Amino acid sequence: MRPKHLFSVRDLSKEDMEGIFSLASTIENNPENFAKICEGKILANLFFEPSTRTRLSFESAMLRLGGQILGFSSAKVSSAAKGESIADTFRMINSYAHIAVIRHFIEGIGEIAQKFSTIPVLSGGTGTQEHPTQALLDMYTIHKEFRKFENLNIGVMGDLLYGRTIPSLLFSLTKYDNINVHLISPPALRIRKNVELRLQETGFDYQMTENLKEVIDELDVLYVTRIQKERFPDPIDYERLKGAYHIKSEDIQNAKDNLVILHPLPRVGEIDYEIDEHKSSRYFQQARNGVWVRMALILKFLDLD
Amino acid sequence: MTDENDMLIVRKIQEGTVIDRIPPGKALKVLEVLGIDSNYPYTVALAMRVPSRKMSLKDVVKIKGKALTEQEIQKLSFIAPTATVNIIENYNVKEKVLLKIPDHVEEFIDCLNPNCVSNTHEPIVSSFDIVSKNPLILRCTYCDRIIEQKHLTRKL
Repeated sequence: MRPKHLFSVRDLSKEDMEGIFSLASTIENNPENFAKICEGKILANLFFEPSTRTRLSFESAMLRLGGQILGFSSAKVSSAAKGESIADTFRMINSYAHIAVIRHFIEGIGEIAQKFSTIPVLSGGTGTQEHPTQALLDMYTIHKEFRKFENLNIGVMGDLLYGRTIPSLLFSLTKYDNINVHLISPPALRIRKNVELRLQETGFDYQMTENLKEVIDELDVLYVTRIQKERFPDPIDYERLKGAYHIKSEDIQNAKDNLVILHPLPRVGEIDYEIDEHKSSRYFQQARNGVWVRMALILKFLDLD
Repeated sequence: MTDENDMLIVRKIQEGTVIDRIPPGKALKVLEVLGIDSNYPYTVALAMRVPSRKMSLKDVVKIKGKALTEQEIQKLSFIAPTATVNIIENYNVKEKVLLKIPDHVEEFIDCLNPNCVSNTHEPIVSSFDIVSKNPLILRCTYCDRIIEQKHLTRKL
């Protein structure tokens, strides 16, 4: 793999991404062919923030590849609770595992991995900054549905300010031409200035709206995110915005027949349970795709592909 | 201002630094950034909003016994980009330094993001790429967060 670690999808080329999708698809079609490829290899899961899907799907991915796993799922049970630095954590893990996944509330730790980790480190989400492996499974899911990215109309809705999957998804989309992106959020939850600047630098165009109704009939993909309670500096702001969106069947009745609704999960009221049975819902399949994509990532970053 | 005071302002210093063409009103910030306060043991002359042919109005600071470090010159380039720094030896200008905003800076600016790794106890120093000089925009090389001129004046 071209980059040694993965902390931003900006570090991946379009070819890198397509290589990951292609391998993930091959694995999904014949997982048994990959069942022993990581025998003798250990993946360390270093989770300093809560996780269900990312941690478990990485564990599932490594176990399905025949490898082993170790790690922790809370900062409280690691030496971080005693004040150990991330740099020292990486130095230790170099001796214990062959590849690591880290989730941390601190942003910018990719540079620490670059300096202090001799084994590949994949980000499982850093603060509000990025969640690159989520974006890759999101993109894989979109590609599975439409077999293309070009000319798709993609609505990205919810907490675009604090949601870390949003920058990663948008940066992934910039690698393709002629994608129409609608950013749907209250003004207070629009994308951060640094994300806006990055998008401008790539010449990526997007529209902003507050109202799903205005664009629902155009969309091929509706990507919904949770309002990130834990990131709000002021709980009053969260209380004010938490119910900003709640999608029900009537909200998507004017949608295209082949609309696909995605959500990185967990959801906290943004999508009504009645949508789960709707023909457009794909978020649980999306979560399952995380296993294939993360298997592909482990193989790519261990140079076992 | 009396003629006598004018004389005091323009009087030459033997050794030190004259910072000329400071944007009007920024001289106090310049002294603050250079760490010059009431405890500074040598002569400091400060003139604010004096007429200037090139700038219409400008501030000027003369500091006896002070040689600027590279980092101090970098700091000045952010808050007073129009300024010129004259290094004085034996009453003469030994060197004139034109300020230039660098493409990258390290250490002296803290990232605005409290969750940035550069604000923790990790063995690294803060680091920014300058993505635009006018308007001034800095980007943290760790967390990608943006710092603009209005933030920077407060941070320096």
